[in-house]
Amino acid sequence: MVKDELKKYFEMLELPPDASLRDIHNSYLRLKKLYAGDSIVLAPLGEEFPEKKRKKVLDEIEEAHLKLLAAKKDEPSRTAFLFEDALSPEKASSQPEKAVDLPTTGPSLRKIREKAGVDLSEISKEFKVRIELLKSLEEERFEALPEAIYLKVHLKNYAVFLGLNPAKIIDEYLQRYQAWKKKK
Amino acid sequence: MAQTTKVREGEIWAVGGGKGGTGKTFITSSVGTYLAKKGKNVVLVDMDIGGANLHSFFGISRPQKSLTSFFEKGASLSDLVVKTDFDNIALITGDIHSIASDKITFSQKLKLFRQIMKLNAQNVVIDLSAGSHNNTLDTFLIADRMIVVLVPEVIAIENVYHFIKNSLFRKVKKTLKEYGFKEIAQHIWDHRQNYGINNLKELIDYLKDSFSYIGTILDHELASFKIHLVLNMVRNNNDILLGASIKSVMMKYLGVPIQYSGYIEYNDAVWKSVREGRPFMLNYMATGCAKQIEIFVENMIKGKDVSLPVGF
Ligand SMILES: Nc1ncnc2c1ncn2[C@@H]1O[C@H](COP(=O)(O)OP(=O)(O)O)[C@@H](O)[C@H]1O
Ligand SMILES: [Mg+2]
Repeated sequence: MVKDELKKYFEMLELPPDASLRDIHNSYLRLKKLYAGDSIVLAPLGEEFPEKKRKKVLDEIEEAHLKLLAAKKDEPSRTAFLFEDALSPEKASSQPEKAVDLPTTGPSLRKIREKAGVDLSEISKEFKVRIELLKSLEEERFEALPEAIYLKVHLKNYAVFLGLNPAKIIDEYLQRYQAWKKKK
Repeated sequence: MAQTTKVREGEIWAVGGGKGGTGKTFITSSVGTYLAKKGKNVVLVDMDIGGANLHSFFGISRPQKSLTSFFEKGASLSDLVVKTDFDNIALITGDIHSIASDKITFSQKLKLFRQIMKLNAQNVVIDLSAGSHNNTLDTFLIADRMIVVLVPEVIAIENVYHFIKNSLFRKVKKTLKEYGFKEIAQHIWDHRQNYGINNLKELIDYLKDSFSYIGTILDHELASFKIHLVLNMVRNNNDILLGASIKSVMMKYLGVPIQYSGYIEYNDAVWKSVREGRPFMLNYMATGCAKQIEIFVENMIKGKDVSLPVGF
């Protein structure tokens, strides 16, 4: 992506252009919470900061987050080595884009996490989410998982922490979740 | 002000924020003391006309000279500088028996600003009064560094929005007036419904879009309009994060740069230090508060936001 365009996205998330993946994610969550909720910080402005504007800001935050994640995906992450040895041993080193084809089931996510030497407690601490929930997520115990809109956020956090592309994981995981829900 | 060319070497910092009791005077005195400790030659000016108490942060109970002589006897400002017991810090104390702020004439105000700029100091720090009176805003706008103090409370937040918005509005109006565009802006504002304009930012955007020459001038004049936010009396991480939210909302609402330069925790040592009559930064340098003031000043100098606590 062009440098200037990236700079714009960093600005949208109120970050300097050298911000880390973790900074990006923290800012994203913080701003999303601010503009999605009814914060005492927004209340005094009333109609001078109308709903329409708030929606627009939220859209910008989403866009910036996705664009920056995509840009960061090309940078070496803590799980980069996995794409080479464990998951596509034959040709990974010559074809890094293979990473996109990672399996996205709970157990395979767990495998990736363990290979990366990441403990669930780290993710739990980083995003203030219960370990139990993360375990259920990896075991695909759908009955123990929250509604889709919240589940999405957890999946995104999980993926981002491991340096994985969240979009595909969310999509495929939610498909299985919705299928289970229909059957229920 | 736009037409003032800088001949001085020193910097003027001003501390404002709208609400009273948020710690403006404490922060003025502490920032000043820290700069002095760093070896800068500092003069603090108490512009809290009517509520002057900066001197009491330095153990002075009855100042010998004050701004009264400037306003009533035409004394020159440089003759009103009083030494303190502490290295590198001098004061111009406020007007205790106060003339009303709105009794100050326009020419007195200009003279005062000219003389502040000529003070012999590497750093002048101005303590402003509460409220958004035009004289307060004008003094705020002469500063090279504009500091806004607030505490994590709804009313203080409201006051700060009001204060920043009015400062910006004042600056825009002055600029438009200087270049002869005041009537256009006023006309559009008076008929803002017809133009679909709801607030100041939209007015500025409209002016910029419709008259490219106004846009160029405003961009140029507003380039120096940057607010340093400091959140005082914080008690937990949520309070600290509130500062980041206020910064975000103000930037998106007004479209001007805001830097969240620091936060300072609540500590009883602050008022104890006043009672003991010694500057806080010398008396209680090991406290978290003192460290946070240092970080705040350094962030302002480096142009950096304060780091936020992670995991929330
Ligand atoms: N961080 C702090 N912790 C505890 N007390 C504080 C703090 N900052 C200011 N104070 C106290 O709050 C009161 C108001 O502070 P002051 O600086 O006079 O406010 P202002 O100038 O904005 O009116 C004073 O009694 C001061 O000692
Ligand atoms: Mg005061």
